[in-house]
Amino acid sequence: MKVKPLLIQDIKFQYKYGFYFLYLVFSVFYITLLYALPVAWREKAAILMIFSDPAAMGLFFMGAIVLFEKGERVLDSIAVSPAKPYEYMLSKLVSIGVISTVVALVIGFSGGVIANHFYFIAGVFLCSCLFSSVGIILAAKITTLNQFILATIPAQVLINIPAIAYLFGWKPFPLLLHPGVCMIELCENGTNALPAIIILILWVILVAVLAEKAVAKMLRSVGGFKL
Amino acid sequence: MISVKNLQFSYTRQPFIENMSFEVKDGEIFGFLGPSGAGKSTLQKILTGLLRNYTGSVIVSDTEVKRHDNSFYENIGVDFEFPSLYEKLTARENLRFFSSLYRKQTDIDYLLERVGLLHEANKRVAEYSKGMKSRINFIKALLHDPILLFLDEPTSGLDPSNAGRIKEMILQEKAKGKTIILTTHNMYDATELCDRVAFIVDGELRALDIPRKLIMSRGASKVRYTYSQNGREEGAEIPLNQTGEDSLLQSLLRENRLLSIHSSEPTLNDIFVEITGRRLQ
Ligand SMILES: Nc1ncnc2c1ncn2[C@@H]1O[C@H](COP(=O)(O)OP(=O)(O)OP(=O)(O)O)[C@@H](O)[C@H]1O
Ligand SMILES: [Mg+2]
Repeated sequence: MKVKPLLIQDIKFQYKYGFYFLYLVFSVFYITLLYALPVAWREKAAILMIFSDPAAMGLFFMGAIVLFEKGERVLDSIAVSPAKPYEYMLSKLVSIGVISTVVALVIGFSGGVIANHFYFIAGVFLCSCLFSSVGIILAAKITTLNQFILATIPAQVLINIPAIAYLFGWKPFPLLLHPGVCMIELCENGTNALPAIIILILWVILVAVLAEKAVAKMLRSVGGFKL
Repeated sequence: MISVKNLQFSYTRQPFIENMSFEVKDGEIFGFLGPSGAGKSTLQKILTGLLRNYTGSVIVSDTEVKRHDNSFYENIGVDFEFPSLYEKLTARENLRFFSSLYRKQTDIDYLLERVGLLHEANKRVAEYSKGMKSRINFIKALLHDPILLFLDEPTSGLDPSNAGRIKEMILQEKAKGKTIILTTHNMYDATELCDRVAFIVDGELRALDIPRKLIMSRGASKVRYTYSQNGREEGAEIPLNQTGEDSLLQSLLRENRLLSIHSSEPTLNDIFVEITGRRLQ
């Protein structure tokens, strides 16, 4: 198992490359904003922030991390090391997932929206893993930051729009099959939290498997391409 | 250690590497020599298991590389052509990380010391010069004491004294029984270090032998000398293996009348041009 050394490295990397600082800045900004809003809006606003920031940050951060690693060619060395693609991916998901969850908890407490800690944490963490996996899949195929940002737009729309609609009261039952909606349901401790957690786990497994394939392919293709 | 039989590979539909076969013995330094675009790095990627859609057979330490699992890499060290390091981490942090991916570990400080970077190990790699990066990259391949080393241009961009240190370390690894694949444009390095070299051009293996044999196989070495005759400088040239029959040379030697005498042998570069019709760099 190489997950432990990889995880230590990812945390060090995210610290040194300023990701934690960014998280801190965003959290302060969001919490300030939260207190500036009318109390009646606070709950929905907090959930929206948690969904669109800590959880979805994974999509961008993961892209940035993988592109950095590609640019500095460290993926070449990882590709010829005993580390396996799934270990590489798991370490990234966990490192981003944990920091996302911590930030979400801080915003959640500030907004006073956490009804059920278990569902809340599970919702944010799983959703972060989902976004991170999508980020890895996109970044694996891409070499520049601009291409990456363009590629994330459809992903953002697909994941965000139904979730936001659900948050603001459009709640047809089949929408619960959507992973973003599951996350909202979990954070709000809704009546369907239990099915939501199961559906979300299935989504994460599906997308993580695809991400693992993308990483394996990416690691095989490095080592020769010249920037 | 390595056995390649009827290897065939191409990135495209056009044939590239066709029917290549060779063997690398345990404990040998084996050189790939060839011009840019010849397929040296491609070959290295096949041998290290990164390119798996080849046909034919490529066996590296008893494993058909397209079917390797990841423990295959416990015994292989690769020094890529370009630095492969986290720029914002220090050299030591980089080495610690890569080392932590392997079961076997060695003394990082000792390796740093050997390449003269022990005292700069806590600097961020971004602040390193090109030559420093390439030295760190080189020892990164030795961290887990692999039995098989792939070195792609390990001395390029280094000053003579640092290049010398690296070459010394390469020979030391060989002395420990390691097998080393050395890719290079540099024929002096190849002649100096390699037990055998393979000439590669356009994905094809054009020659494979001991460097000295390759050099001797073509154009025998010559002896060129000058002497003074009636106040003028005269010169002559004869094959090295006929000096015994040259009575002029004999008498000049006896009478101490030689002004200069040189033997000139073709370099590996000359041989390369002769065999392949292409220049090395
Ligand atoms: N990923 C790739 N996809 C398609 N073609 C490639 C790829 N990598 C290399 N090639 C082509 O394969 C040929 C051999 O390239 P390779 O990198 O093996 O050469 P090389 O001998 O290592 O050259 P150099 O001395 O410049 O490093 C070149 O024509 C190159 O354009
Ligand atoms: Mg090359």
